[in-house]
Amino acid sequence: MKFSPSLTNLIEALRCLPGVGPKSAQRMTLHLLERDREGAMALASALETAVARIDHCSLCRNFTELDICEICSDTRRDRQVICVLETPADVLAVELSGSYRGLYFVLMGHLSPIDGIGPREIGLDKFRDRVLEEGIAEVILATNPTVEGEATAYYLTDMLLPRGIKVSRIAHGVPLGGELEYVDGNTLAHAFTGRRQLLQEQ
Amino acid sequence: MRINLQPAYILHSRPWRDSSLLLELFTAEHGRLSLVGKGARRRSRGGSNASLLQAFSPLLVSFSGRSEMKQLTAVEAAAPPLALAGECLFSGLYLNELLVRLLHRHDPHPGLFACYGETLESLARATDVSASLRRFEFTLLEVLGYHFDPAIDGHAGTPVLADGWYQYQAEYGLVKCQRQHAGPAPVFSGADLLAIAAGEYRGAQATAAKRLLREALASHLGDRPLHSRELFRQFRGSGRPA
Repeated sequence: MKFSPSLTNLIEALRCLPGVGPKSAQRMTLHLLERDREGAMALASALETAVARIDHCSLCRNFTELDICEICSDTRRDRQVICVLETPADVLAVELSGSYRGLYFVLMGHLSPIDGIGPREIGLDKFRDRVLEEGIAEVILATNPTVEGEATAYYLTDMLLPRGIKVSRIAHGVPLGGELEYVDGNTLAHAFTGRRQLLQEQ
Repeated sequence: MRINLQPAYILHSRPWRDSSLLLELFTAEHGRLSLVGKGARRRSRGGSNASLLQAFSPLLVSFSGRSEMKQLTAVEAAAPPLALAGECLFSGLYLNELLVRLLHRHDPHPGLFACYGETLESLARATDVSASLRRFEFTLLEVLGYHFDPAIDGHAGTPVLADGWYQYQAEYGLVKCQRQHAGPAPVFSGADLLAIAAGEYRGAQATAAKRLLREALASHLGDRPLHSRELFRQFRGSGRPA
């Protein structure tokens, strides 16, 4: 049996989603058409508005509908500290933890020569200009503890330290509620090299 | 096909689906391979395989499958990961990009694998870095079948003369030339070439050896430049105040 052209078109279009193959795309298409036409219309208009309106914040590069996103324009936040993260999902995770009240800069990736991603692609030149212009006191590097994330952190450190900016890296170590016995060797080694001296007053 | 506990290094990994990884590996007996690490990014009690599946750590991997893309079944650390810092980390990324660009899949190169491990170790110690990078580049050219002898004039088949000037040509190796008529391609002095052939990459010959190998590799890399080299250049330049 052959589907009509617009049906085949929809199946093909759905395959652009991550993890959706031909079979899942067909199942989604048939479900939308058979059972949930309202949902399909809502999905279509939501997609259209999102793509048309959402762009990168001109300060932190996170997704936003405004020129400057809500976090960047919030005057109650500490404007002296910037935290550098890889993805918008990371921003969400840090925000949910409620432990950080400064600003963000989202790289939308990390340095990865094999994929052809260099400093310009993740906006590091813009970031340097911003840090120097706004007189930022501290930059917190919260890129992932992977080889590419570390390379990105090294690059940023090398870029900012000679210009007299305080740079810090988030700690890597044993997760809360974890048991040392089950923590892998690499993480444990990091936890030991990054150990902290305990002081009487604290 | 099932392979158990094969010595390997990760060259590159990228996320795939919700919790899996697509891995590019360099193994001792099976050369460069692509594997799927199913569920490798899934959270588990106190850490998962994801912390093992990092570049520059010596691994023992087990995998199976009949198709081109095999599945990772188990992984363990063969030795503690090599901690590359600063410039050496970028040199490590350069090695990985070279291997991904130049090696064909499923082509075993045990000699090159050993050389890769030694090069990473000297990068981790941050000693003898440029000499070990040059040794790796020579070994890579050799196993790919692009070997040339820096001490032999490729055209005439005679030994290189210490007071002569030479250029690199992909088909012949080193060819005698006039220093002033050389054009844009780099020119090498015979004395430097003889020293390089004798395995001396330090001091005065360091730059010549680097330029010679860059020329030799460029002819096999094609039109696309190496991104890691560009990154390294920018990394060196980024620290200087603009």
